[in-house]
Amino acid sequence: MKKRLVSILMSSVMVVGTLAACGGTEAGTTTQVEVTDDQGNTTTVEVKDTATGDVTEEGKYEVKDLHIVVDGTLTANVDNGQEAFIEQWEAAVSEKVGHEVKLTIDQLDHSDYAATVQRYLTTGTVGDGQFPDALIMSAGMFREYQTTGLLWDMAAAYDKAEFQARVTLPEVNLGIRTKDGKQYGFAPTYGNGCVSYVKASWFNQYVASDANTDGVKTIEDVDTYEKYYNMLKFFSNINGDNKTYGVIAAGFGKLDEAPFINYMPEFWQGAYPSFYQKDGVWVDGFQEQATIDALDRLAQAYADGLIDPDTEEASTKDAREKFFSNDQSTSEGVFTYWAGTWLRTLTDNMGKNDVDNELADERLLQLPPIKEITDTWGGYINREAPVWVITDDGDDNSLREQAIFDTLFETMLDGDKVQTLWTYGAEDVHWSTKAESFTTNPDDPEKKKDYEYADGVFHLKQSPNDPNAVWKKNHLDPVLVIAPLTNGFVDDDPLVTKGNQFFTAHCVDAPVAASSETLTAEQSGLKDLKTTLMNKVVTGEMSGADAVQSYIDEKGAIVDTILGELNAQ
Amino acid sequence: MAKDVEEKTSSIKIQKKPLRLRIWNNRGFYLMFIPVFIFVLIMHYWPMLGVRYAFFSSKMVPGGGIKWTWVGAQHFINMFKEREFWMAFKNTLIISVVKLLLNTFVAVLISIFLNEMTSLVCKKFVQTVIYLPHFMSYAVVAAIFTLFLSPSSTGMINETLKDWGWIDKSIDFLHISSMWRPVFYIINLWKETGWGTVIFFATLSGISPELYEAAEIDGATRFQKMRYVTLPALSSTIIIVLILNLAKVLNIFEPVFVLYNNRVFDSSDVISTYVYRKTFMTAATDYGYSTAVGLFKSVVGCILMLGSNYASKKIRGRGII
Repeated sequence: MKKRLVSILMSSVMVVGTLAACGGTEAGTTTQVEVTDDQGNTTTVEVKDTATGDVTEEGKYEVKDLHIVVDGTLTANVDNGQEAFIEQWEAAVSEKVGHEVKLTIDQLDHSDYAATVQRYLTTGTVGDGQFPDALIMSAGMFREYQTTGLLWDMAAAYDKAEFQARVTLPEVNLGIRTKDGKQYGFAPTYGNGCVSYVKASWFNQYVASDANTDGVKTIEDVDTYEKYYNMLKFFSNINGDNKTYGVIAAGFGKLDEAPFINYMPEFWQGAYPSFYQKDGVWVDGFQEQATIDALDRLAQAYADGLIDPDTEEASTKDAREKFFSNDQSTSEGVFTYWAGTWLRTLTDNMGKNDVDNELADERLLQLPPIKEITDTWGGYINREAPVWVITDDGDDNSLREQAIFDTLFETMLDGDKVQTLWTYGAEDVHWSTKAESFTTNPDDPEKKKDYEYADGVFHLKQSPNDPNAVWKKNHLDPVLVIAPLTNGFVDDDPLVTKGNQFFTAHCVDAPVAASSETLTAEQSGLKDLKTTLMNKVVTGEMSGADAVQSYIDEKGAIVDTILGELNAQ
Repeated sequence: MAKDVEEKTSSIKIQKKPLRLRIWNNRGFYLMFIPVFIFVLIMHYWPMLGVRYAFFSSKMVPGGGIKWTWVGAQHFINMFKEREFWMAFKNTLIISVVKLLLNTFVAVLISIFLNEMTSLVCKKFVQTVIYLPHFMSYAVVAAIFTLFLSPSSTGMINETLKDWGWIDKSIDFLHISSMWRPVFYIINLWKETGWGTVIFFATLSGISPELYEAAEIDGATRFQKMRYVTLPALSSTIIIVLILNLAKVLNIFEPVFVLYNNRVFDSSDVISTYVYRKTFMTAATDYGYSTAVGLFKSVVGCILMLGSNYASKKIRGRGII
């Protein structure tokens, strides 16, 4: 009897346990709300109360639980003081909007970001706890999604936003609007781009070597493809054992993310291997002679051992770690990467690995764009900015979406407390104005550095997860932001300033990314095929001309359809 | 006398209790079975209802969720027209079958080799060494081999071959179509063969020593004992292992996914990786198409399983299902 009782009890527990997960979430209630438009017309709309928020008695939608999905650009991650960031954000925003707001951040892995976002958006529904209210998208990803109807048109909200009065770079957001004036994303910063960094110690060796037949004395003298190529040749055998390389990047080209030619600009030169507007007409740059020539140039450099073969599969992390690795005997002389803050980060990482310590902040030289780039594009490409988007809940009103805009974006650029959080992180965790002194690398006499700040002076603190490094920034780059801070908090790192000034002086805006229904549906296949063909050409399996022909044979009809749609817009 | 007993026995009718009574009498067991039954229904049968989406087209709708539109057999027509699909289907069969045969063959060889070892310490050591890779995830294995096989100057294999003077130029093992599959098979052998020997080794341990003694008295050499005692004793296990694995050959995903790359799609892309790319690497996924490919894969898998069962019945006299 006892055994039987136990078995019944166990079974009951298991059944309840099994079924516990099957419960659905309670559907939100609906509230009738009167809405008055800009012309003063009043209409009644139905608004669902969701997990995001609900409608007050006054008919106002209040965001209670904001769920955002972000990538690695929010540097205050869970290991780096995110908890404090959230806590301070909630306090500051709740005070601003007049009611309590809870923030949930879902920070995804960079390499799986697009696939996970796609899964969230297709398998979830608004307010289910996983479906994002707002999220970050790269320019390419954004162009794919803006035709799906999933994103909210925020043009009106953006136009009447409070921060408008302080916007210094209005063209950034106007540029992402569709022809009919719709705006599905919000770019709080301009795009930024990549610069080719050359190791100063390697360059100095080149200048002093017999291989310097071009008479190069300064980095500015490396102003043509030929001179660049000669420098890479020297780098690929700098120790006389052919184990080093001229250049590394995360891919021979980044054909899955606009502006595609960021990583090896000296080889791509005037090519643009995707859809772009030429004299007002959309064309497919991958089929152009410039792309064939670029692919052949890359193939030649690869065959000559100038490009590190790891480039083909390297992630950005792999590439940069190899560049500043403490084993420089298999490293590279040139690395094309993001401008500004990354000049500081790369320099610091070289320092951490004891690479060229004697050069301190002069470890890296910024290569001005070579003649072949300036003659075609005009400079390094300034990519289209990544954007924040708000998901549309599919009802016929914008109450929820407008409330998200006000809660998240309006405060993000408030010029003060909340913008500081997004820019520098949490107070007294990432930055402070209190008097303090600290030392980085206290045990290493060569790297040891003392910092001392008086009370009231804004300064960045030691990184929460690395006491030997000083914190840099959070999500918004203070130099790139479209509406600067008004509280005077400035991190005046001369190296970052130097990097930003250099890029600003040598950049041009990227072509506008294409967006059409067929392109969205076929983008994945096109990217796969183009990357496959590019890799095959560069590694010598086929010629550039054959690759383009193969592309036309396989995807020519689809490309024609896409061009037809783009030119009809 | 015996005939009488037999007749009497056959004429006795066993009185079965009614089903309801039997259930009542064993209610404790039935109650314990309920959670398992519910689990199987929810986790294994309920998802099967999803196959209906193979006949619908999906579109994301604002607010989340999917709008389904009936398209009949259109996805299957599109699928059969697609070159990439047939390439993936062919690769799936080739990679899985070769991998299965190779892994089984080498596992048998190693098992026999271990069985012949006389030193227990040595045997245990070898077993431990060859079992260990099985417990590493494929992601880690892929990272290790990618590093070892890199054509860059950090690639250990290429640099060693160069130092020995065997090659002048690095070989891009994982990026050359003709080399990818052999390298893949070797990596799989390294990872899974050790674990595969467990079942064969267990069978070998069960072989009666008398058979070896008898063979020895008959003057059999060591090789002859392996040929005429060990292998026949193993044959039934080999067939079972092959048949059981044959039924699931189309399910290969993880080992390919972590090792393949754009340049070797022609020889490495399998149905699961093809479905993954079609589903998750685009903003406008048509889940209907992905489901159609999955359904086709399941049907082929089902045919293979029934074929295996038939083969099992023919060879062993009894089926596996």
